[in-house]
Amino acid sequence: MNPPALRALVADSLILWGVAGRVDIADAGIRITAGDLVLHVAPALPEEAPMRWWLISEARRRPAASMLGLLRSLRYALNATSAEPARARVAAPS
Amino acid sequence: MIPVSVITGFLGSGKTTLLRSVLRDPAYAGSAVIVNEWGDIGLDHELLETSEENLLGLANGCLCCTTRGDLARTLIDLAARRRSGAVTYHRVLIETSGLADPAPILHTLLVDPAIAESHRVEAVVTVVDALLGAETIARHPEATQQAMLADRLLLSKTDLAPDTSALEAQLAELNPGAPILRAVQGAIPPDVLFASAARPEALRHWLDVTVTPSARHSAGVETISILREDPIPGVVLPLFLEALAEHAGEKLLRMKGIIRVAEVPERPAVLHGVRHVLHPIEWLEDWPSADRRSRLVLIGQGIPQWWPARLLEALEEEARG
Repeated sequence: MNPPALRALVADSLILWGVAGRVDIADAGIRITAGDLVLHVAPALPEEAPMRWWLISEARRRPAASMLGLLRSLRYALNATSAEPARARVAAPS
Repeated sequence: MIPVSVITGFLGSGKTTLLRSVLRDPAYAGSAVIVNEWGDIGLDHELLETSEENLLGLANGCLCCTTRGDLARTLIDLAARRRSGAVTYHRVLIETSGLADPAPILHTLLVDPAIAESHRVEAVVTVVDALLGAETIARHPEATQQAMLADRLLLSKTDLAPDTSALEAQLAELNPGAPILRAVQGAIPPDVLFASAARPEALRHWLDVTVTPSARHSAGVETISILREDPIPGVVLPLFLEALAEHAGEKLLRMKGIIRVAEVPERPAVLHGVRHVLHPIEWLEDWPSADRRSRLVLIGQGIPQWWPARLLEALEEEARG
């Protein structure tokens, strides 16, 4: 995923989560600025497989094996999680 | 499994008239009927000609909020009485109050394990007054929600409104996948209304709708359509649905889709979801038409127009390695 596509998806995600912030392309990834918080998302190196992404803050580096994991970590880092996280539920088969 | 259908529509749209007509059909005369009325004194159930045992009124509140628990208890109790032989019925028809949001009702029907183990949601029919519907939808968000969540839209009182083209265009904008049917005094074959919305024949209209990547807005509710020419890797589907539920579940009112899965392209997968609750994926034997593209329609509030497509694209790229 190239940085512009990543930026577009993350910027939309911020809107979805109701987070006021800015997303810029930075190096091979993106930089997210929300208030005082600055986060970076960088693609993992091929030798770091199965990890695909790193979410980097001042305090730590969190790996993510998929976009699903990256978005979950990012939302958590931005403190934008829902009061009742909605997980997919499958209705009983008919 | 006992089929359950929901009849909804704004106040005065003609739900009870429709229900009365449906119950005159011999195949539906023995249906269990649950009527939800807003107010202390229920009247609608007095107008229905069906046996007392099979008719239940839920007054003093709206099904989508205060009496949701009552609905669950009523269905469970009815099913128990059916098993014991105290009552006989082959389907359940639920008439909501005119102010009800059908989404929480569907949610209850789908996720309550005691209900879902013995009941199957077949169709949501929304009755729209042909004369006043446009104004009602413009003024009342409940009416918009009811129209957007319908599997089928039924224009009532069409004898009073000779030209319904503007209303039909408005409804097609709100819910492009739902066929718009017409009836005077509820006169319409019930099977047309209540056939399972997931069956291939019921999907035909939905598939005939030209779905282009887009988002339409109305009263704060958007219809977002995704179209994919290439098959979607099977591994992407659960990831996409999981992300959709996790991040947009609260804002997603309804989702429908037909997906060409890369591993089994000859058998389309049909998706149905209400908020973060998904029906089990249904695999059709064949494509209902020559169009074999994946199509997904999301109806929600506050979901950025391109977020679902961007997410899907990102997951597809990961799956391709």
